[in-house]
Amino acid sequence: MRRPLARTLTALTAAVLLTPLLAACGSDEPADLVIYSGRNENLVKPLIEKLEKHLGANVEVRYGDSAELSAQLLEEGDKTEAGLFLSQDAGALGALSKEQRLAPLPRATLDKVDAAYRGSAGDWAGVSGRVRVLGYNPDQVPTPPNSVHELVKPEWKGKIGFVPTNASFQAFVTGMRVLEGDDATRTWLKGLKANEPKAYENNLKVLEAVDKGEVSLGLINHYYWYEQAAEKGADKLKAKVHYLPKGDPGGLVNVAGVGILKGADKKQAAFAQKAVDYFLSAEAQTYFAQETKEYPLAAGVKTAEGVPPLETLQPPKIDLGRLASLKETLALLQDVGLV
Amino acid sequence: MTAPERSAPARRDPRPAGAQAPAGRGRAVGRPSLILIAPAVLAAALAVLPLGYLGVRALEHGPAFAWDVIADSRTGELLLRSLGLTAVVVAACLLIGISLAWLTVRTALPGARAWSVLVTLPLAVPSYVTAFTWLSAVPSLAGFTGSATALTLASFPYVYLPVAAALRGTDPGHEEVARSLGHGPLRTFLRVTLPQLRPAAAGGGLLVALYVLSDFGAVSLMRYDTFTRGIYTSYRASFDRTPAAALSAVLVVMTVLLVAAETRTRGRGGYARTGTGTARRAVPAALGRLKPLALAWCGAVVALAVGFPLATLGYWLAAGTSATWDPATLTTTALTTLGVAAAGAALTALLALPVGVIAARHRGGLAHLLEQAAYAGHAVPGITVALALVFFAVRYARPLYQETPLLICAYAVLFLPVAVAATRAAVLQAPPVLDDVARSLGRTPLGVLREVTLPLAAPGVAAGAALTFVVCMKELPATLLLRPTGMDTLATRLWTETGTGSFAAAAPYAAALILLAAVPSYLLGRHRT
Amino acid sequence: MNDRDMNELEVRRVVKAYGSGAPVLDGLDFAVPGGALAAVLGPSGCGKTTLLRVIAGFLKADAGTVTVAGRLLGGPGVHLPPERRRIGIVPQEGALFPHLSVARNVAFGLSDLDRSARRVRVGEMLDLVGLPGYGDRMPHELSGGQQQRVALARALAPRPHLVLLDEPFSALDSGLRGAVRAEVRAALRESGATGLLVTHDQQEALSTADVVAVLRDGRVAQCATPEELYHRPVDPWLASFVGDAVLVPGTADKDVATTVLGRIPLAAAPAGRREGLVLLRPEQLRLAEPEAADAEGVVTDVRFFGHDALVTVTVVGLDEPVDIRTTTPLRVEQGQTVGVRLTGEATLHPRTA
Repeated sequence: MRRPLARTLTALTAAVLLTPLLAACGSDEPADLVIYSGRNENLVKPLIEKLEKHLGANVEVRYGDSAELSAQLLEEGDKTEAGLFLSQDAGALGALSKEQRLAPLPRATLDKVDAAYRGSAGDWAGVSGRVRVLGYNPDQVPTPPNSVHELVKPEWKGKIGFVPTNASFQAFVTGMRVLEGDDATRTWLKGLKANEPKAYENNLKVLEAVDKGEVSLGLINHYYWYEQAAEKGADKLKAKVHYLPKGDPGGLVNVAGVGILKGADKKQAAFAQKAVDYFLSAEAQTYFAQETKEYPLAAGVKTAEGVPPLETLQPPKIDLGRLASLKETLALLQDVGLV
Repeated sequence: MTAPERSAPARRDPRPAGAQAPAGRGRAVGRPSLILIAPAVLAAALAVLPLGYLGVRALEHGPAFAWDVIADSRTGELLLRSLGLTAVVVAACLLIGISLAWLTVRTALPGARAWSVLVTLPLAVPSYVTAFTWLSAVPSLAGFTGSATALTLASFPYVYLPVAAALRGTDPGHEEVARSLGHGPLRTFLRVTLPQLRPAAAGGGLLVALYVLSDFGAVSLMRYDTFTRGIYTSYRASFDRTPAAALSAVLVVMTVLLVAAETRTRGRGGYARTGTGTARRAVPAALGRLKPLALAWCGAVVALAVGFPLATLGYWLAAGTSATWDPATLTTTALTTLGVAAAGAALTALLALPVGVIAARHRGGLAHLLEQAAYAGHAVPGITVALALVFFAVRYARPLYQETPLLICAYAVLFLPVAVAATRAAVLQAPPVLDDVARSLGRTPLGVLREVTLPLAAPGVAAGAALTFVVCMKELPATLLLRPTGMDTLATRLWTETGTGSFAAAAPYAAALILLAAVPSYLLGRHRT
Repeated sequence: MNDRDMNELEVRRVVKAYGSGAPVLDGLDFAVPGGALAAVLGPSGCGKTTLLRVIAGFLKADAGTVTVAGRLLGGPGVHLPPERRRIGIVPQEGALFPHLSVARNVAFGLSDLDRSARRVRVGEMLDLVGLPGYGDRMPHELSGGQQQRVALARALAPRPHLVLLDEPFSALDSGLRGAVRAEVRAALRESGATGLLVTHDQQEALSTADVVAVLRDGRVAQCATPEELYHRPVDPWLASFVGDAVLVPGTADKDVATTVLGRIPLAAAPAGRREGLVLLRPEQLRLAEPEAADAEGVVTDVRFFGHDALVTVTVVGLDEPVDIRTTTPLRVEQGQTVGVRLTGEATLHPRTA
């Protein structure tokens, strides 16, 4: 029995010797621009390829969780290799901004984006937006409610699907805290909990559940519906989306954004600046609108077909930088017993 | 009749009873040689790097701030929840691991050999995959039950492997004596066999406990709030590294206490057989009417821990017609994973070697300290270890940063205890008297190590490396932060695909990960059978 | 061979204690002449193994010196590591390296030799221990006795000055033990190496060794040839330790002792002592017809061993019954009145010892 394992050991050693070869396959030329991306590779890779063509430069991307990448960038400090941070949400950018790790963006760049969707210190800009909506099954709910506050009514008992661990849901709760205060939010969460909502692992599952009639209503982001509609055909999808009007906290708009890191050398910083402008260009904004069904935030690009324009919505007015107070939100969710 | 004769030489110990012999029989003269100490200290230093980082970060805003975080009532509550989960999972793993080890090694279980391989396969299934598949099938499992189930099913082989090895190594003579004195099989097991398995079970239980304490994937999917989840929340929710570091420091203290508790169970006895021949094989206990029950138990464990996740993945693979996945990417990713995991396992095994040898062959402060150091960072979540390496690498080893070697080092820091435990056990199995003989034949201590101890311990060391290989393949948080930019492992790919909810696209990567990890798991299962 | 005389082990005033406890070796002295096989005999815990490990260099003595072939191996400021002492060891159960073939086990200490010389030497050694052609076997394919002989070949191969044998026969079946013992002894003789056998078995020590040192409380109680040790032990404890002893009160007149059992010449002058305990061996007591004997008693027990038997006789005038070793077939039975006579020489010891 000794021999097979001795062979295993030999094989392991051989594998170690092969590692440098494998690693060498990965990157052969030095990168002109390194991007840390908290946005999923599956969502942005084609856009990055377009960016490379646009810049005529070699772009390397490190994908990860936005919050973890921001912690990594904070540890790296001015020794970072990264030139650009593409974040899934405003909070991670806000954390870097607070530690003054982001370089200020030129006025011209900032002005491409509505003031509501950029950093108050002028060091990051939103590139795409997502809206919280209600998914509903029209067979069960002919007229969906116009406010999340109605969801605590007894008629919705056992009929609501949500993803308590999802960052967007938590951002929405944070938004409610900012808009209506902690006590009102706690009361609402308690009411929700009393209605025994069904927890799912992700938004897609919620949408599926609504579609199948497992639940009547689902708290999701808008683009899940449009993506499914594009994949399966809108007529095949039973579920519908409903935008919440009149500044209801349930209709929060959150953004994904970019910031340029301090500490990048001049050459990289120049590429980073060009990349930010590219992300706000018509080509990139169209990509977000068409491919991820998100809201373009600049360049006057139209939303995808069927997606109502941002201007027609009545999202709550809120400083996105304040969504960083997620810690208290989590404490609240834990207290109420939803996570 | 042979049993009393067998045990007689062992009792002829030259040491006066109770004397603390610093260099008694079978122990090398005085302190371990410098050639052994130097690399061991290096390994230990690497392992405690995260602790240095935790110190820096936790005290960043002053000790009062760190204390406020630790003294928060929520901290205590999370700790209790974590400890409760740990206790339940360890108990369940001991029950499953020991019962399966006994059934496969000591009873006439039909297909015992096949079962002994099958029950190690759960090692190949990442706990986050186990959790994910269970959750999608039975959403109501979310919470404590689901976390405990997923973690138990993913980690009981940590108990099974050492206990099965110990069962093969222990002398069946004691059990025969007990049977002849009128004890039934069960009573014999409880009163004679089980006490002999204590060190092996405790060692495995320790690894399980540290695994549960540091796990994030399974508890986060199962939405059960634990200490580690608190640490992640601190990064994700408040983007603040200081409370995360303070909380991690608490985990380090927990680890030190657990390791100390485990050391106590080892007692002063050695494991090495005095004889050099192979121990007599025990006559397998007949199961009688319990046979269907025993088979059902083994079958249920394997079905739940391996069969179920594989079936779910198979379903996704079959259902996911819309998903596109590229066989070339899968192949490249699989090869990369194999490469970094193999390098990680090899480096870990190498670093664990001097620590394991010293822990097995020497006693006293230094040996104890080195072993403790190897374990210290093991319960710290992967993200914290990764950030620690980021912290040190950007400052002191810039050329290595975000290169494969640093990732390999991270694996070594994370999984050193797995390899140290295996090495230590393997070296203990090599009778120390052989060291003496080799010395008398002109070998220096290093020569003895090279020509006698290591060749004899090689199967155990290789088994440790295989185990490390499997855990490296599954590692996610540190890989995400430290991999060379643009490099993907199966685990990171899996993370990417599930991140957009495309389970069909994720399934091939999960399946590849499980299948590849099953190979070393399979070898581990066959080891010493 | 000339170096026979050089191969001499000398242990002088060696002290060794573990921690702060009482010393295990307490000023131990003894020497082994070149080419001899000496035995260190003692009860459990007397320090035998500690002594062996001090000589081999695995332990450092607190005081005293160890010299082999005129070379100081250990002493004040000197402690040669085991690998530089040229002392072979044969541990309990042989301790062959399980991962190496018999030939590679034997060749383990021959790294100085080139390949062909090594092969020749391994062949010689296997011939010496009576296992020619066993080189390719693995240790687990050998019987216990064969393993032990290979262990000896391995220890002897590098021509050590001294070979230490640590209870090498204790794990063997009793039937095999005698034969292996004889073979090992013959091989050691032929090799010319000095041997030191550590054992707790007095039979083994007396039958195998040229010189026997009995250890007691960390010192050598007596070091002598087996015969001298048996017949002229320095005290009654030693006498009982190395064999069955019969102790009877007696008085000395010049070099003859008088006891209830009769008169017997003393092996050593009583050094002015007039009375004490006279030490006899059971085989020095002979059964006789009551009328032809010096003493008379009643047989109270008979223990039959085959080649001989022990007859317990309660003698008039003695508090304790005495054992008499007699040849078989037996001519007495329990309850019979018998006469007792003495032969050979005895020793006289103080009563309080």
